[in-house]
Amino acid sequence: MSSSVAVGTAEETPDLVCELDSVQGIVDALTSVRWKRHQDAVVELSEHGIVIIVEEASCLQAKVYLQRELFVKYDFGAHGRPRFGVSLGLFVDSLNTFSVPGRSNILELRYPGPDMQLLIRTVDSPNACIYAEIRTRIPETISWDYNFEPAGSTPLSFTVKSAALKTAIDDLEWPESSIQIKLQPSPPSVIFRGEGGHGEMQIDFNYYANVDLLIAFSCDRQISHRYKYKFLRATTSNIPSSVIRDNRGSKLTVGQGGMLKVQHLVSVAKPSVPHPHIDSAGYQQPSRIAYIEFFVKPEVEEDNDS
Amino acid sequence: MKFKAFLTDNGINLLEKRILPALDKMGKICHLYLTRDHAFFLHNLLNADGVQSIAQFKKESLFQDYRISSQNDDKIAFSIDLSLLHRALRSILTIYVESRDFNSNGLQIKLVKKLPPQSTQAMPFLTFEAKGYKSAVVQDVPISKPLSRADVQELQLALESAQEMPKTLVKAPELNSLQNLVDRMKHVGDVLGVSISKYGDLHLQISTTLITLGAEYRKLTVLGERADGVAGDEDLTAQSRTERAVQRGDAMTVQVSVKHFFKSLQCSLARPDCAFYGIAPQGTCLMMIFQFFVPGTRQTDKSISLHCRLPVLDPGSN
Repeated sequence: MSSSVAVGTAEETPDLVCELDSVQGIVDALTSVRWKRHQDAVVELSEHGIVIIVEEASCLQAKVYLQRELFVKYDFGAHGRPRFGVSLGLFVDSLNTFSVPGRSNILELRYPGPDMQLLIRTVDSPNACIYAEIRTRIPETISWDYNFEPAGSTPLSFTVKSAALKTAIDDLEWPESSIQIKLQPSPPSVIFRGEGGHGEMQIDFNYYANVDLLIAFSCDRQISHRYKYKFLRATTSNIPSSVIRDNRGSKLTVGQGGMLKVQHLVSVAKPSVPHPHIDSAGYQQPSRIAYIEFFVKPEVEEDNDS
Repeated sequence: MKFKAFLTDNGINLLEKRILPALDKMGKICHLYLTRDHAFFLHNLLNADGVQSIAQFKKESLFQDYRISSQNDDKIAFSIDLSLLHRALRSILTIYVESRDFNSNGLQIKLVKKLPPQSTQAMPFLTFEAKGYKSAVVQDVPISKPLSRADVQELQLALESAQEMPKTLVKAPELNSLQNLVDRMKHVGDVLGVSISKYGDLHLQISTTLITLGAEYRKLTVLGERADGVAGDEDLTAQSRTERAVQRGDAMTVQVSVKHFFKSLQCSLARPDCAFYGIAPQGTCLMMIFQFFVPGTRQTDKSISLHCRLPVLDPGSN
C-alpha cells in the first residue's frame, strides 16, 4: 500500500502546469539575460505568470516576465509565490531542444516533479515525445533589493531603437572602463561617453535630430551617472534578433541614486503567424510580448549638477 | 599492382554530390579498398575508437571498364584524403563536362607512381584524367603506400565482422529533424543513451546530475525481430516504458558519444532514402544503416550500401 500512498503524494496538485504553443520567443527572451556561461537563475511562479531573475556581483539584475497570457494553458495551484533555483544555461539549452524549425510543438511545463524537478515535455504527438527533467535548487536569496524608485516627479527616461542602443554600446567598448550616461533637457539629448587608455568616445542622441532613433524623451533636469561597461553591455549583448527585426524600442530610465533600468520587449508570437503591422515602438500584440528588465547600479555617485 | 577504370556519369554524380560530402564529415582520411567486384570507402576500421563508416559500391555503380590486378588476389587498399579527392574530382569535372560530347569514354581514374617535383623517390597517386578535344587535364591525388598483404587481410576481416547485423532494426525518424534535435541536445551532455525495442521504439536520452533530456519515437517501422507492445505501457513515462521493455528482453540500451551520434547523422548529406537504427548482438555497437532506392522506384538499390558503427561507451566510464 505504501507505493500507492507515494503515488498519491506525487500526484498532488502541482504548483504549476502550463502549456506553450511556441517556444522560440521564450528561448529568445531568456537568452537575452544570459551574459555568461554559468548563471544561476531564480524562477518565481505566481497566478500572474513566471518571472525569471538573474543577477551578478550585486550590481546587475535582470528579470524576464512571462505573463500568463503567453501560455495557451496556465493552471496555478499554489499559494503565495513559490520560488526555485535553476541553472539558466541548462534551462535555455533544454528549452531550445524543443524548438524544431518548421514545426510548432505544444509544450507542457510542470513544477514540481516527484523530486522537485522542473518537467518539460511535448504533449501534441503520441508517437514522438521530447522531454526534460531539470533539477532545481533551493533558491539563494536575492542579495540586494532592486526596488526601483523614480528619481523625481518627472521621470528621467528615454526610449531608443533597440538596434541603435546595441550599436552604441558595442561601439563604446573600453575594456574595464566605465561609461557615462548623461541626460539633459536643453537641447533634449542623451549622451553616452566612454574613456579608455587611448582616448575617449562620445555618442550623442539628439532628440530633435534623431527622432527616428530616439523615440521618446522625458527629462526636466540634467543628470549624469557612470556605469561599468561590462554591466551595460550585458543589457544589450544578447538582445534577440527578432527585437531588431521587429524594429522595437528599448526604454532606459534613471531612478533614485542613479539606478538604471533598461527595458526590452521580445515577441513570443508563433513565427508561422504572419505579423500584423507593428508600430514603430512595437507596442502591438501586448499579450504576446515578454518583458525584460535590467537594473544596473551606477559605479560611483556623481554630482548631478556637473 | 594495377588499377584503371572509367567513372560513369552516374558514378561521378553519386561520388561528387552525395557520397564524398557525407564521408568527408566522418573524417578527412579514409581507406579506399578495391577488389575485383567492389570499391569500399572505410573509416576507422583498423582502430577501435571513433565512428566506423563503411560505404560499399558494386563496381558497376561507379565504374565501367574496371581493371584491377595485384599479387594479393587482386585486392588493393590505401588511405586517401577525402577532401583532396573531392576537390580533384570537382575541378576536373568542370573540364570534363565541357568536353563530354567528344569524350565518350568518360573520366579515367588510375593508380600511378610518379616522381613529385623536388623529390628523388616516386610516390603513389590516384590520378584522374579527362581528355578534351584540344587538351587533357590530369589531377593527381596523393595517396598512402598501398597496404601490405597483412594489413589488407586485417581490413578484410574487420570489414567482414562489421557486416554483423542487429536482430532488430527500427526506421529512423526524418533525418533532418533528428539531426536538429541532437545538435541541440549535445549542449547539455556528452553521453547519449540509445534504446531500441522490438515494438518499434527509439529512445534517446542524455542524463547528467542536473538534467535528463530525452526524445522518444514510437511505432516506427521494424525490420527483423519484432514484438507487440504491452497493454498498459501507454500511460508510462518514456523512461519507465524503456526500463520495462529492457527487463522483458524486448529492448536494448547502449551508451554512445553524442558527438559520434551527431556525426553519423551527417551521412544524411549522401541523401539516403531511409535510415535504420539497430544495436548489434551483445550490445557491441550501435549501427545506423542507410538505404538507397533505385532511382524512380521504392526498391532498395543493393549495389550501394552505407552504414555506420558507433562504439559503445563503457557505462562505468562516465
